[in-house]
Amino acid sequence: MTELLITIISTGFFATVIRTTTPLLLATLGGLIADLSGALNVALEGMMLIGCLTAVIVSVYAPWYVAVLSGVGAGALLGLLMAFFAYRLKADIILVGFAINILAAGGTVFALALATGGDKGTSINLQSQAIPPVDLTFLSGIPIIGPTLSAMLTGQSVVTWIAAFLVFAIWYFLYRTPWGLWLRGVGEYPAAPEAAGIPVTKVRTWSLVVSGALAGLGGAQLAMFNYVGFTRDMTGGRGFIALGAVLLGARHPVGATIAALLFGAFDAFAIVLPGLYNWMPSELIRMIPFIVTIVALISFSVRAQRALALRGVQ
Amino acid sequence: MSGNVPTIDENSRWAAFRREVGRALGAAIMALIVAFIVVLFTSKTPLDAMMQLLTAPASKPRTIGLWIDDAAKLTVTGLAFSLVFQARQFAMGVQGQVYIGAIATSYVVLGPLGSTWAAIPLGLTAAMLAGAIYGFLPGIAKARLGANEIVSSLMLNYIAIELCNLLMRTDLPKASAGVLTSVDFPKEAVFPPLIPNTRLDLGIGLAIIAVVVVWFALYRTAWGLKLRLVGHNAKFAEYAGIRPTFIMVSAMAASGALGGLLGAMFVQGQTYGKLTVLFEGGIAFEGILVAIVARSRPLAVPIVALAYGYLRQGAQLMNIRTDVPAEVIGVVTAIIILLVSSSFSLNFITRLFRRRDRATSVPAGSVVK
Amino acid sequence: MALLEAIGIGKTYPGGVVANDGVNLTIERGEVHAVVGENGAGKSTLMKILFGIEQPNAGRLVLDGKDVRFARPREAIDSGIGMVFQHFSLVPSFSVYENVVMGSEPRSGIRFDRKKAIAEVQALSDKFKLHVDPLPPVGALPVGQQQRVEILKALYRDARILILDEPTAVLAPQEVQELFVAIRSLVAQGHTVIFIAHKLPEVLEISDTITVMRQGRTVGQVRSKDVTEDSLAAMMVGREVVLRVDRKPTDQSQRVAEVRGLRVVNARGTEVVQGIDLTVHAGETVGLVGVEGNGQAETLEAIAGLRAITAGTIALSGEPITGMSVLDRRSRGLASIPEDRIARGLAPGATVAENLVATRLDEPRFVRSGLLDLKAIRLSAEKLIERFSIRVGGPNYEVATLSGGNMQKVVVARELSEQPKLLLVNQPTRGVDLGATQFIWRTITDARDEGAAVLLSSADLHELLALSDRLMVFYHGEIVAAFTNTPDLTPETLGTYMLGLARQTPEDMKGALK
Repeated sequence: MTELLITIISTGFFATVIRTTTPLLLATLGGLIADLSGALNVALEGMMLIGCLTAVIVSVYAPWYVAVLSGVGAGALLGLLMAFFAYRLKADIILVGFAINILAAGGTVFALALATGGDKGTSINLQSQAIPPVDLTFLSGIPIIGPTLSAMLTGQSVVTWIAAFLVFAIWYFLYRTPWGLWLRGVGEYPAAPEAAGIPVTKVRTWSLVVSGALAGLGGAQLAMFNYVGFTRDMTGGRGFIALGAVLLGARHPVGATIAALLFGAFDAFAIVLPGLYNWMPSELIRMIPFIVTIVALISFSVRAQRALALRGVQ
Repeated sequence: MSGNVPTIDENSRWAAFRREVGRALGAAIMALIVAFIVVLFTSKTPLDAMMQLLTAPASKPRTIGLWIDDAAKLTVTGLAFSLVFQARQFAMGVQGQVYIGAIATSYVVLGPLGSTWAAIPLGLTAAMLAGAIYGFLPGIAKARLGANEIVSSLMLNYIAIELCNLLMRTDLPKASAGVLTSVDFPKEAVFPPLIPNTRLDLGIGLAIIAVVVVWFALYRTAWGLKLRLVGHNAKFAEYAGIRPTFIMVSAMAASGALGGLLGAMFVQGQTYGKLTVLFEGGIAFEGILVAIVARSRPLAVPIVALAYGYLRQGAQLMNIRTDVPAEVIGVVTAIIILLVSSSFSLNFITRLFRRRDRATSVPAGSVVK
Repeated sequence: MALLEAIGIGKTYPGGVVANDGVNLTIERGEVHAVVGENGAGKSTLMKILFGIEQPNAGRLVLDGKDVRFARPREAIDSGIGMVFQHFSLVPSFSVYENVVMGSEPRSGIRFDRKKAIAEVQALSDKFKLHVDPLPPVGALPVGQQQRVEILKALYRDARILILDEPTAVLAPQEVQELFVAIRSLVAQGHTVIFIAHKLPEVLEISDTITVMRQGRTVGQVRSKDVTEDSLAAMMVGREVVLRVDRKPTDQSQRVAEVRGLRVVNARGTEVVQGIDLTVHAGETVGLVGVEGNGQAETLEAIAGLRAITAGTIALSGEPITGMSVLDRRSRGLASIPEDRIARGLAPGATVAENLVATRLDEPRFVRSGLLDLKAIRLSAEKLIERFSIRVGGPNYEVATLSGGNMQKVVVARELSEQPKLLLVNQPTRGVDLGATQFIWRTITDARDEGAAVLLSSADLHELLALSDRLMVFYHGEIVAAFTNTPDLTPETLGTYMLGLARQTPEDMKGALK
């Protein structure tokens, strides 16, 4: 037990948490934007996965930032596709989401096999690149906390810092700009913004595009930093866990960040536990995030029911 | 009412039926065209690849067997999704139920009763029971606590897969050390083949029985009518004295039993005859496609399953015989779901680029919360 | 020159429904112009065309002497037209000022300037005597104030012409007067108001000019000082109709429903029904009077078994039914016609036969050991289709293929297929035209004359006065007054109690609380 505690409060563990949280946080923010616009984006998983593969393949031929942007673009395109079918052709958005997931699960393997010349499991034969870490060793110059800060924050991906900025940017957008008001209005009661002349379908479409872009960025981080290279189904349910994190975070960017950090911490656990307790089966450890999501979902639902009762929304 | 009314009635049904068939075929043709374009750009021998996709499954008795076996499994997963879709629930837990059902079966048939005549009925019962419980969980969590059934059922899928891996590695008797495959089930526990040397076995019979049972339950029992009324309008059902939560939970549990049955069909069938990790190969989720194209109508499910199973098997054979990976079928599946679930029609391209008269205020995402 | 003219407007919906057919409308600057007509006369379609929600197939719109065409509401708004719908378009969790400015927010840079928004909304509400606090969320406001927010929304967008779609339908008589004060203040400051209505006394009181529509055409335009209620009604329906139903005398001897000390708490935790006592006798209609949201709907739902109660007892024919399920109550002779008949009373995707049998799935006539008797279900459906003259191809047609009026008939047919002991009716004629109103009133009264105890809730005081034997006035979840219906009982008297301005003493009430 003591080893566990020592590990958890170590700076190394914090650094791991930040690393495991980043892709999940980006997907969660994507889920949040879609959710507030009135759409449950069940396609985050597929968008992330396609973001992973796009980034990996592009990074073989282009600089890392182009690869990351391609991942973002792929996610955004999928968001546009989803919006087109859900809003223009009036398909059920849940079914559209699952169609995208099925497309991603099969399509990535298909594309990978083509790109590698028949390899269906991993991109190990591709010379893909990583996102460069940010060096913050100068922080150790700060007295007392400096070395700790430096150990925790140095070596994190550029995308991690972008994600941290995005939490603030999305909060500002949602609660401080007119367009955030539009988006939240569209999600809560679309008839009102429509009567006010706000282009409801456009707002919803943009929300899904941004949602997809964020998931794609999460995918790029996953495949170009957390792991370098693509493996089939490498997202491993992160897109679905993100849906749980949106709800657990009370549909607010700060709450979503805290929820994503919680899941990131359990992910990090799964990384450090086998080293500490080798008797513990790895399958059990891999189950942890999913079990936590269910527990979180239930506790959120109970809380939400009570809060709703207090707020007076039936 | 006058006697000619039923004919008008049937006429309108016939027209609706033709419309649905036309829509499904149109979507399938569109999807195949897209698949062909993809193959054209990626294969050195595109025509050969397409020929394999379209003709290989029917070419030999063995491949026909593979096709029919796939269709039987797609039928059961399609029925499982149809049941929850008719109640307007989006439970996505069939995959998890398949694994849980298979685990339950394996423990029964590898136990003392496994080499008696009771192995098959007991294995099936255990699988269906386990699947039903696994389907019940997200149902009760939604009914009692309001937990979103989509997220919870997806999480349960991952948990079931890991559980299967864990038990496989640690607890179940293995064929040899280091292999993630159980020992072969006793002969008595494996479905007898209908035609020797093919994969055609008792599973087909089970699939047909499942179709009839689900159809009967939905259209001939009070429970089925209540379930469909809840699906059409839950508020109305409540007002009429039907308990929507009971119907919702029981629909998810019944669907879970079908998922469990599918698990038993996998591991007790001729294909495996043992438990192995990741045996299901993603087929459970393809039940979404089958259910959507069949409009959740149980009697249409096997027909759609046969058609889609053919394509699926064609893709596998194309993978083996040409340079096109089988996963191209994922692209086809996705396109069919997108087209069939949307207001797509054959002249949709013309409508696509015409501006809508006015914006619409239908909250598209309001189904689930 | 007229401010706004609609000339020869025609609108045919896909499916061939002709909603407008050569409609003409001339609005002068600074007037209150009422557009009256039965439901289905084409008023709403015309207004939707003026506001750019629908596009006409024929005719033209002339604003300030220039031809205009609105492809979407935004363009109408930009031309100075504002519209307040019957169903408010407000985001419940947003504050008043956010709702008012949404879509045209004051900005500084990319930021939404909240301070400026609050100040502007405050100034606007002072200027037009539309008093409402800009800060609270609109979901917490009463209906009358929400309506003011809607009007402010239009004025904030510089609407010179304000279209009000049946604005008084949801208001108590005194609130109507406050609305009229605001309308007069608007007109005095140069605005023009188009007022859609069907309550003729109000129309005559507030409007300068009246355009009458019937069956998609304009019947005529008159000055309100030149017409009377009767002549206007005759123009609307094309024939003299007297909305009245004769009731058999009632002896009020046999108690059917008894409610004692009923208390109901809603989802937000407030007690919406606070200890109600009610008795309904066989062959009697009791009207529940009150501004919507004062506990009438909750009382009906609690009796139907659709809402949990926190205290009290409910008895039907002397038998307590308090803890019973909806089905058990129904099998003891309770029937209920819900307010939103299509959203709550029907499953549109299911067949007519399935809808008709939905409440009887525990009866051995239709279900034995869990199996449906399809033949019995079909025969019973065919009988009801004939008895209530529902226009449908057969019992196996989906309800969604029926017209709105026939859908309503399916609900009525199911609930009255057998003579009920206790019939609960909520807003029976909301959104229904005069002809159908007559039919529904007759049907309810027939059930009563046959011996049913009827509990009727309605926002229309004329309807309550026309149908009820006794009237209970609800205010904040309590019965504050009770009357026996007599010809000298007026809507104004009821209004005083509805708004909580007065309250009867227990002794006063006793006479009507048998």
